[in-house]
Amino acid sequence: MASVSFRNVEKSFGSTRIIHGIGFDIADGEFTVLVGPSGCGKSTLLRMLAGLEEISGGTIAIDDHVVNDIESKDRDIAMVFQSYALYPHMTVADNMGFSLRLRKADPALTKERVAHAARILNLGPYLERFPRELSGGQRQRVAMGRAIVRDPKVFLFDEPLSNLDAKLRVAMRAEIKALHQRLKTTTVYVTHDQVEAMTMADRIVVMQEGRIEQIGTPLELYDHPANLFVAQFIGSPAMNVVNGTLRRDGGQAWMEADGGIRWPLAPARAGQDGQPVAYGVRPGDLGVGRGADASSVPAEVIVVEPTGAETELLVRVGAAQIVVVVHGRTQAEPGQTIHLSVDTGAVHLFDPTSGIALTA
Amino acid sequence: MTASILKKASAEAKLLLIGIPLAIWTLLPIYHLVLFALSPKEQAVSGKLWPEHPTLHNFSMVFHEQHHYLGHFWLQMWNSVLIAVSVGAITLFIATSAAFAISRLRVRGGRTIMNLALFTYFIPAAFLAVPMYKTMGNYGLLNSQWALILAMVTIATPYSIWVLKQASDKLPLELDEAARIDGATPLQLFRLVYLPLMLPSLVAVGTYALLLAWNEYLYAFLLLSDDKSTTLGVALGSFLSADDSPWELLMTTGLIYALPPAAIYYAFKRYMVGGLTAGAVKS
Repeated sequence: MASVSFRNVEKSFGSTRIIHGIGFDIADGEFTVLVGPSGCGKSTLLRMLAGLEEISGGTIAIDDHVVNDIESKDRDIAMVFQSYALYPHMTVADNMGFSLRLRKADPALTKERVAHAARILNLGPYLERFPRELSGGQRQRVAMGRAIVRDPKVFLFDEPLSNLDAKLRVAMRAEIKALHQRLKTTTVYVTHDQVEAMTMADRIVVMQEGRIEQIGTPLELYDHPANLFVAQFIGSPAMNVVNGTLRRDGGQAWMEADGGIRWPLAPARAGQDGQPVAYGVRPGDLGVGRGADASSVPAEVIVVEPTGAETELLVRVGAAQIVVVVHGRTQAEPGQTIHLSVDTGAVHLFDPTSGIALTA
Repeated sequence: MTASILKKASAEAKLLLIGIPLAIWTLLPIYHLVLFALSPKEQAVSGKLWPEHPTLHNFSMVFHEQHHYLGHFWLQMWNSVLIAVSVGAITLFIATSAAFAISRLRVRGGRTIMNLALFTYFIPAAFLAVPMYKTMGNYGLLNSQWALILAMVTIATPYSIWVLKQASDKLPLELDEAARIDGATPLQLFRLVYLPLMLPSLVAVGTYALLLAWNEYLYAFLLLSDDKSTTLGVALGSFLSADDSPWELLMTTGLIYALPPAAIYYAFKRYMVGGLTAGAVKS
């Protein structure tokens, strides 16, 4: 168990800087997910924590000990790789016990720890098999077992579920989360999948181009995105964003988009009349109204995608394409004009140039 | 249906058309080798397809060194074995270490070494024979088996480094990283992870170097002129130095000399294919 802290961490490959002074803390026992599009530096940051990449600037500390110049093996961490990285010539038991073997641990202890990890992960029947004789999910569990056996201060996961099929991914996601709840080991988990981040994390660090965009609990990020990038990255389907101009008149507020379309706003929203804004609304905060009224937005249905419990509508509002998720079924058909109702309390406004959220 | 069968049959016929002449071409000398080895001396060149009275007398003569040319048969055989095995082992040691350092540890100058290794093959080995002779003379190694061992290692190593480097590159880098996090030193990584996974390539390269030395004639002839230090291959050549060469004994000795390589190929057949890394990473 340990805390981890990043202080002004930088990374350059040659003259290209890919991590620009990142700093944040991870509390003891916390499950932190680093998430961002590919190339955002999240894996590099994890590998720097693991000791697989040199740290170009700043410090990384585990339990208040700076580990910059400490070798991987002495950092007391365990890592699960995307490709599992199991030793193909060793059985499952040997794979899991390899780190203890290197430390010349008592074979009886090794056996006991391996058996313990195998029990946790239901790998008992496979201990004498080779990795090639296992399914993808089983291999992933062996990779986790290898980490558990070491009883490290910090678990590192580098996109561990990317190689699994969709169904297995969901199952393993729950398994990793349950494992963390059981072991309570500090965990740093890298993924590009925001659903994984939302479902697993205690805290999410959203990264883009080597910088942190926002840190917070999943729901903080969802409800209060600090900027347009986080707003559109977190949540599925992504938030709709329309650019326009803020208007106020007679105690009413709305945003006027191209073509004179009025997107309703709560009158209490901050902002000046005539101020350019980006109007963000999540697909679930839009509804199909009964008919035209003062606050509804007319839209033309393009595609209807029923998924059973919900129906996703792709509609056109002026020049913008908007996604609407309605619970249950809908009568809407392509080509038809509908009237969208907006939950004005859930609308996010952003500065269109800087992307920063305009808070109420 | 019939069209596809016809197509398949025609494809197979084409293969046979190439395969049969190739098999005859390859097997004809071996047939002659066997024919001579089993024929009594007077019938060896009779032109018969198979000897009337096949005999193992020639083998007995070779094994008991009962001919002037065969005076040191066992010693020369031993020399061949010693030199071939040494060349195989030393080449493997050097090439594996180099490949590991260049491919896995990413040492500086690795690329240069690889290019230099490739460059050595622009110069034919025969071209280097005289300089090599001179060098070995300078070091006082002529007529010492070390001379041939060192020369053959020099010739075999560059290619071996290339093959092993390519094979090393195919091992996933995550394996090294996982081992590093697990606490392996570079030497432990080499011994416990790298070597076991490279085994098929190591066997293939070791076999290559061993057989290269086993089959070597020119360098052996130049560097080892003494009957007692030379290899059986060179000794075979000396059979032809007289007009009345004992062909049946030459062929018998040749047949014996050809058996170890055949045995080695057969024994290590499965390693030549590889496939040990299956299951390491999802591909």
